[in-house]
Amino acid sequence: MTLLAPALLLGLVGLSLPIVAHLLGRETPRRIRFAAVRFLSRVEPSVTHRRAIQDIPLLLIRALLLALLVAIVARPASPRSEALAVVGVPHDAVILLDASYSLEIRHGGRTMVQRAIDRATEVVKALPPGSHVGLVTSDPDGARIAVSDARAPVLGALEDWDEEILRPPGAWVLAEGLPPAVAALSASTDAERPRVVYAVSDATSNGLGSLPENAADGVLLVPVLATDAPAPSHVGVVDASWEPAPELDPRAVRVMATLRRMGGQGPSRVPLALLVADREVARTEVELEPNSRKLVEFTHSLLESTGPTPATLRVNVPDDALPVDDARHLWLSADEATDVTIVNGDPSELRSHDETFFLTTALAAAGDDMRVRIRMLAPDQLEDGMRARPDLLNDTDVLILANAPAPAETVTPGIVAAVDAGMGLLITVGDRVVAEDYNPRLGKVLPLHLREDVLLGTLPGRAEARSEGLAPPDLGHPMFAGIAGEMGLSGTRTRKIFLLEPDATRQAQVPVTFTGGAPALVTRLHGAGRVALLTTTLDRDWSDLPLRPGFLPLAQKAVAWLGDAAYGGSGGGGAQLLVGESRTLRADDSVTVTTPGGERLVLAPNPDAQVILSDTTVPGHYQVIGSRRHGTEVFAVNLDPTEGDTAAVWQAKPISPASGGLQPVASWQPRWHGLVLAAAILLALEAILRSLRGRRRRRRRRL
Amino acid sequence: MADLPGAGLAGLVPPDVLEWIRREPLRLPRPVWGRRHGHHPSARAGVGMEFRDHRPYVPGDDPRKLDWRAIARRDRLVLRRTETEDALDIVFLLDASGGMAYGDAPHGKHQVARTLVAALAWIGARQGDRVALAVGTRDQADATLLRRGQGRERLAAILEALTSNRAEGRCPWSDLLDEAVPRLRPRSLVIIVSDLLDPGAGATDPIAAENDLWSGLSQIRARGHEVLALQILHRDEVEFPWSDRKALEFIDLRGVRENVEAPGGSLRSDYLKRLNAHLAALASSCERHGVALERVLTDQSLARALTRILGRLAGKPSPHEVAP
Repeated sequence: MTLLAPALLLGLVGLSLPIVAHLLGRETPRRIRFAAVRFLSRVEPSVTHRRAIQDIPLLLIRALLLALLVAIVARPASPRSEALAVVGVPHDAVILLDASYSLEIRHGGRTMVQRAIDRATEVVKALPPGSHVGLVTSDPDGARIAVSDARAPVLGALEDWDEEILRPPGAWVLAEGLPPAVAALSASTDAERPRVVYAVSDATSNGLGSLPENAADGVLLVPVLATDAPAPSHVGVVDASWEPAPELDPRAVRVMATLRRMGGQGPSRVPLALLVADREVARTEVELEPNSRKLVEFTHSLLESTGPTPATLRVNVPDDALPVDDARHLWLSADEATDVTIVNGDPSELRSHDETFFLTTALAAAGDDMRVRIRMLAPDQLEDGMRARPDLLNDTDVLILANAPAPAETVTPGIVAAVDAGMGLLITVGDRVVAEDYNPRLGKVLPLHLREDVLLGTLPGRAEARSEGLAPPDLGHPMFAGIAGEMGLSGTRTRKIFLLEPDATRQAQVPVTFTGGAPALVTRLHGAGRVALLTTTLDRDWSDLPLRPGFLPLAQKAVAWLGDAAYGGSGGGGAQLLVGESRTLRADDSVTVTTPGGERLVLAPNPDAQVILSDTTVPGHYQVIGSRRHGTEVFAVNLDPTEGDTAAVWQAKPISPASGGLQPVASWQPRWHGLVLAAAILLALEAILRSLRGRRRRRRRRL
Repeated sequence: MADLPGAGLAGLVPPDVLEWIRREPLRLPRPVWGRRHGHHPSARAGVGMEFRDHRPYVPGDDPRKLDWRAIARRDRLVLRRTETEDALDIVFLLDASGGMAYGDAPHGKHQVARTLVAALAWIGARQGDRVALAVGTRDQADATLLRRGQGRERLAAILEALTSNRAEGRCPWSDLLDEAVPRLRPRSLVIIVSDLLDPGAGATDPIAAENDLWSGLSQIRARGHEVLALQILHRDEVEFPWSDRKALEFIDLRGVRENVEAPGGSLRSDYLKRLNAHLAALASSCERHGVALERVLTDQSLARALTRILGRLAGKPSPHEVAP
């Protein structure tokens, strides 16, 4: 322990000031020798109080208080154990400060953000004279200070960042802040000067653990650890989902939450509550081991109401070190089901040759896991209906064109607009599909343009007709989320497929291919909607796919994924966004967005009839009134759970002379916080004592 | 009276007072019972020329005192009795405690007290009265001059004692009374000279000590003696002139009470209230116990004060007894 400003200890001389002032300032009374003293009474003892030290405890407390203040001003500190080093010669530097919410973790009365800012401030102050410095945060909207020889703007911005109360709880990987930091250094005109990025963060995988060895050519990357103290234990809700539970009640839902506990020792009981419409409806306690997760399931029957209901899963740990991730929000609904409109282009009395038979059977087999309302239309019914009612598809979540001829040109713009607004579109080919009709009419939304249908035997290099199987699907595609291992499609035999026009610009994804490499299922995002194209038939005309055990999950997952877009990816309960993600809505007129804080934002659409809500920095429930598809849309914004993983993965390396001319910097850990606390306690004690004395004096006067 | 010790008196009594007392007698309104011939009417019939009364002859009476004319008128033997004049025993009990040390010359309380005692003693001695003095000072009762004496030697001793006396410490009233009371001749005049502000000061129970004083005076009065209390007060004690906010520290002259430190202005009203209550109680006590009380302010004319005292001794009503 040492003092950063020992000269200020001279202030201890001030301890004698009250006594000296008392001695000098006291009034010397005139002494009168008197015979009738018995008739005198002490009606006003204040003079005596001024002259004599009446209250020794009060004097001691005040003297101690003064001594503490002097000690605080003298700034006692102890050497910091974390290594801090800066380049020893004048150079251009950029402080890259991690702004993600994992630094909001609180330890020892201070957050990691405050410690990181302290470290960054120390670095700025320790830079050799002549150095230039700038500031970049990993938050793209955070503070940015251009590199200059003035340090005050950087220090000021760091101070402002420290004082900012509502920092967005974003989840940014520190490494993603490197390019802006390097770009800030590129403005340097002196090529001879070293260029250095000081990255200040914690040791997590998204913090210093995400950094590469080098920032860029000619740029030295110096990691600066905010503190080497281990991150304290904390708990959080890392995932939340729900599903209908009709086996319990027609309006029952099953809400699942995944709890995680980071660090700590021994098991800990963590209370978890389910709040529906801001009212706690269920509560439980979960025993969590250190660094473990546990899935918790609630069942709840929703009230007889229409529309989605906001729900929150909240961990009630009052002294949690990272409270920001203690809640997770979602929307529940017992009324929502995926509305699927199937346009059967080749109806047949033989079930084996009717696409809709296999599809409806597969969707019906989903049972309670997927609520689907199916509407069957003939191609002319679709066209007539859309001519009569342009908004015919507004209540359709997924439109399936099953071996249907391309809709008329007067109708397809409506289909494209519906996809734009979030409708899912599944096109399965067959003998009725003509590429020349589809490409011009639905080319805007097709994942890839159709070329022609071919028998597999006629493929180039093939001498005879043959069938081809399906390659293992790409389970990384979001369509197959939740599926692991074999899907049961490998035995599929396909004789005929539709070839597609390759086009990288359309950003199509191919989750399923044939063993020969030709795409079997192609997907693409278009506007707010999703489109999938199956290059073979849904019935047995071209393939035995519907007979394979993998057909059921394929059909169910495909429809669920396509329909999910209508609600933003949560299966009917509204979208789940991460903090900072923008939400695109289709709207012809202004929409009103109600934020979690109750604020109402009126947003006007752009020329493309899109409303982009980018201010999603507050986690919670959002409600949009006035969107094109459903009138009212809901979505929930939650934190990226990866930032809640505070496990340290990065380790500091010892500073060596070979490490880019780095030189260690003396760094001090402030130790006056305890003194401040003691001073506050003494101040309170002094006030209490003074109050008691005053009360006693007043009582004596009354007597 | 040229043989009286004027030198010692001049040191105690101012010249104007000295001139005044040469003309004034000390008289009591009732007869005295002295052993020696003096100037006060005696309670006994004596050898004077002035007729007093007749009384029946009894064997053993001096036949020279038979009043033959009266015998002839009454047809029985009667004696003629005449008035006589006796000397008066005057005992001064002087409070020389520290409380009397207040005030600067010539208005110090002790100085005024000594002057009054000296003047009255001189007047008494001039008339042939026997004077005695007991002084309470430094917590002791000095009774060396309590044995009554007559003539210039006794007066000189008293004046010398007064001249050398200093007001210090506490006056032990109970010891003083214990010394004086047994030695009182019948129908003596006891003059108490004190400020009577805190007679119980220093005692374990001041109130009880004060009551003992009054009890002692009451007993003296019950034995037929005259008691006069001369209360010597300084004007500061009566008016308490310190009324501003300046800090004052009052120190008890007797050294027995705690010092009081406060601005005078904050003390004045309460002080005056308590002092007046005390003076009223004192007057009431004197009246109840038959003690004549005369209050003398030190800045008053001593000649006028002595006139009032002598008048009071002669039976004139006190000023506060006169109806307005």
